[in-house]
Amino acid sequence: MATLSLDALSKTYPNGVTALHGVDLTIDDGELIVVVGPSGCGKSTLLRMLAGLESISSGELAIDGRRVNDLEPAERDIAMVFQNYALYPHMSVADNMGYALKNQGVPRAERRRKVEETARLIGLEDLLDRRPKQLSGGQRQRVAMGRAIVREPKVFLFDEPLSNLDAKLRVQMRIEIRRLQKRLGVTAVYVTHDQVEAMTLADRLVVMNGGHIEQVGTPMHLYDQPASRFVASFIGSPSMNFIEARHADGVLTLPCGTHLPLRDGASTESGDAVCLGVRPEHLVQVGQGDDTTLTTQVELVEPLGADTLAHVRLDGQAELLVARLNGAQQIAEGDRLYLRPDPERLHLFDPQEGHSLAAPETVS
Amino acid sequence: MRYRRPGLDAISHILLILALLAFSLPVWLAIIAATHDQSSLYTGTAPLWFGDQGLDNFRAILSEPVARLGTDVARLLFNSTVMALGIACGKIFIAILAAYAIVFFRFPLRRLCFWLIFITLMLPVEVRIMPTYKIAADLNLLNSYAGLILPLIASATATFLFRQFYMTVPPELLEAARVDGAGPWRFLRDILLPLSKTNIAALFVIMFLYGWNQYLWPLLITTESDYMTIVVSLKRMLSSADNLVPWQAVMATALLAMLPPVAVIVLMQRYFVKGLVDAEK
Amino acid sequence: MATFQRHRLTPWLLLSPQLAIVAIFFFWPAAQAVFQAFYVEDPFGLGRTFVAFENFTRLFGSAEYYRALGITITFSISVALGAMALALLLAVLADRVIKGANGYKTLLIWPYAVAPAVAGVLWVFMLDPELGLISAWLGAVGIDWNHQLNGGQAMALVIMASIWKQMSYNFVFFLAGLQAIPRSLLEAAAMDNAGPWRRFWTITFPLLSPTSFFLLVMNSVYAFFETFGTIDATTAGGPGGATRTLVYKVYEDGFIGYDLGSSAAQSVLLMLLVGLLTLLQFRYLESKVQY
Repeated sequence: MATLSLDALSKTYPNGVTALHGVDLTIDDGELIVVVGPSGCGKSTLLRMLAGLESISSGELAIDGRRVNDLEPAERDIAMVFQNYALYPHMSVADNMGYALKNQGVPRAERRRKVEETARLIGLEDLLDRRPKQLSGGQRQRVAMGRAIVREPKVFLFDEPLSNLDAKLRVQMRIEIRRLQKRLGVTAVYVTHDQVEAMTLADRLVVMNGGHIEQVGTPMHLYDQPASRFVASFIGSPSMNFIEARHADGVLTLPCGTHLPLRDGASTESGDAVCLGVRPEHLVQVGQGDDTTLTTQVELVEPLGADTLAHVRLDGQAELLVARLNGAQQIAEGDRLYLRPDPERLHLFDPQEGHSLAAPETVS
Repeated sequence: MRYRRPGLDAISHILLILALLAFSLPVWLAIIAATHDQSSLYTGTAPLWFGDQGLDNFRAILSEPVARLGTDVARLLFNSTVMALGIACGKIFIAILAAYAIVFFRFPLRRLCFWLIFITLMLPVEVRIMPTYKIAADLNLLNSYAGLILPLIASATATFLFRQFYMTVPPELLEAARVDGAGPWRFLRDILLPLSKTNIAALFVIMFLYGWNQYLWPLLITTESDYMTIVVSLKRMLSSADNLVPWQAVMATALLAMLPPVAVIVLMQRYFVKGLVDAEK
Repeated sequence: MATFQRHRLTPWLLLSPQLAIVAIFFFWPAAQAVFQAFYVEDPFGLGRTFVAFENFTRLFGSAEYYRALGITITFSISVALGAMALALLLAVLADRVIKGANGYKTLLIWPYAVAPAVAGVLWVFMLDPELGLISAWLGAVGIDWNHQLNGGQAMALVIMASIWKQMSYNFVFFLAGLQAIPRSLLEAAAMDNAGPWRRFWTITFPLLSPTSFFLLVMNSVYAFFETFGTIDATTAGGPGGATRTLVYKVYEDGFIGYDLGSSAAQSVLLMLLVGLLTLLQFRYLESKVQY
């Protein structure tokens, strides 16, 4: 039960490399925040600073209003689940889970009771005497979770905890983590590079890039109103398509000659070059081409069952676009395909800076 | 699967067995010699089969002062044991701590400490023998167990091996322990030492052999027979200007000098090989 | 590497035993040796005179020193190559037979545990001119063996005893190296129609070269220093200095001749030599180890 506040948190390593440039964020009690971004974006550094495993170069970190910058990890009342679980190989499951309590001086009987209670909660009660070596990947993952839960910390920190599991188990554990976190009502910060994992878990998402926060918001908010080209391309799968375009008197002209109406409120002047973003699911196949459609040729077809992904080449363009079509559609490589971008779902970005040109309230 | 040639296999086995026999020959002859009395040894070439004096020879050297030594071999065995155990345990003890500091802490002058310790790998005691002897003499360490043990601990082989092992410990274990509220001493006791068990065993074997088999240093520092080690005693027994070498006693003593280290290496072979091969990495 | 950062005193507490021992029994004597090398001490230990490099020039002008150097080189090369060649042969054989490779390892490993001095004594007995078994065999084929009189034979004795003890060390490493070579490589070579002989020289041997280099350095260090016991217990540098190696000469000049300055100068030269060897080894280690 805690709130976290990060105020201009920065990290500069002794070799001069700055991994984090002044991160501001407030995390509410009981919230599950997922920090997502490509590798090297600073998300792990941020998590490790919250944990107290990396020192804070400047800025302030407070848990429940108390400044914790200079506290040891154990004094911050946090628990962490590591990517490779970091279970103590020579201790039994019960000892692994109880080690923090033992260090806190909790009497043996109470320790035993708490460990057993937690083990029941996450279905480990039959494995308490095993060593980590004797467990499957999923079971180890559970032990790591149990080790965090048993201490009843103020904050859970997760460092890509599912990345070592196979795909099926990952989905299952994802649901379980969500369920447990809600049930226990503990504030949690979860770091991942997997945007699907991020979308499905998060109360709020934090997208990071190059040591900065690009955008914070609910998953759907980030999906609908990406603040930058980076966020737009990172959230959503397959990734958003981008087409260079020119704005003239309220109309966007694409290099292929297509004209699209510009929606009100976009902060762009007539004559500007813009970057048009349209998600694969917002390209609608139509029977006949006109000047509001894209005329394309199919280069590759990926049938997924319910949907079919068509990788298509826009006439006269080098890069491929992706369109998500109905799976019942019969298409083959080489087919001509007419695609109409949903005019309500167009995103505009500055071609150099990458920030969104849409007025915040216009796109829903 | 390999392309097998049964003929080559047979030749391999034969050559290996011949090598085994050749390598065992010196010890076989020693065992035989230790079972004869002096007169039956000196009847020509040394005999190839057992005599009947084995028990008497061993009982004699173990319980009665041996000529030219002034003490019995039991005492020598005791001294060698004290020295070997002292060196093995002492080295392991200081190495565990020093390697822990160097790998798991960041502090000013850490690199300097690293080099100060590891430069000792370069110079065996034989090279700086005179001044080391003088210092031992100044510190009143001649003819003492401390004098036998301490100077031989001053090499960083064990520290180096522990450092190599510590660097393979996943960093997350330390982080998990810190999150779990373990400070440096708890981490050492609860996590690192239990994980080091095999390495400690391996080093114990290597350092026990190193200690037991020392020659030059014990030769210099022990002038009294009360502190003499068994390995050093052999030369004294051999140096017979006046009369015949009592080979039966020399060989019995040599066998006793071999027995503890050979037993350690055979019983703890698994650890020994691991320790040796790790040292290379 | 994760570390404890906030503990200032703890690392020094942990390091203090090692640093103390190293300071007292390593750096202090090593410094003394360097210092002493520039002085001549009078035989009664009453005083000493600074002589700059005289101790060194005396050494470089002394035929005895060059002789000891030559003996050391002959001895070291013979021991290193002998122990390695024998060990490689046996390791290849043991690796071939698969079944029993570890059994042979157990049976061949124990000589490593035998003290150099004890190894020397065992060989002296076998080669004793009066009742030694091997000297009798040699006599039967017309070789008159007496290492107490014949310098070459004395050298052969210490070389054989040293190889006997050191072979198993090399064997363990070669066998581990051979067993670490991926079977698939040899199978690929076999499918490319390379016979066992060719496979060994084109695949196995090159892959063993790091091990071989490491062993060469280790064997040289062994031959230089640890064999002191073998030499002292068997020939005591004799006859007539035929087995007097550099280390033996340091000991003789220092503890028997009481020429402290010369002994110290020799120590310093040995330090430089070992430093060179270690540098070689570290350059090899560096490719595998991060500092």
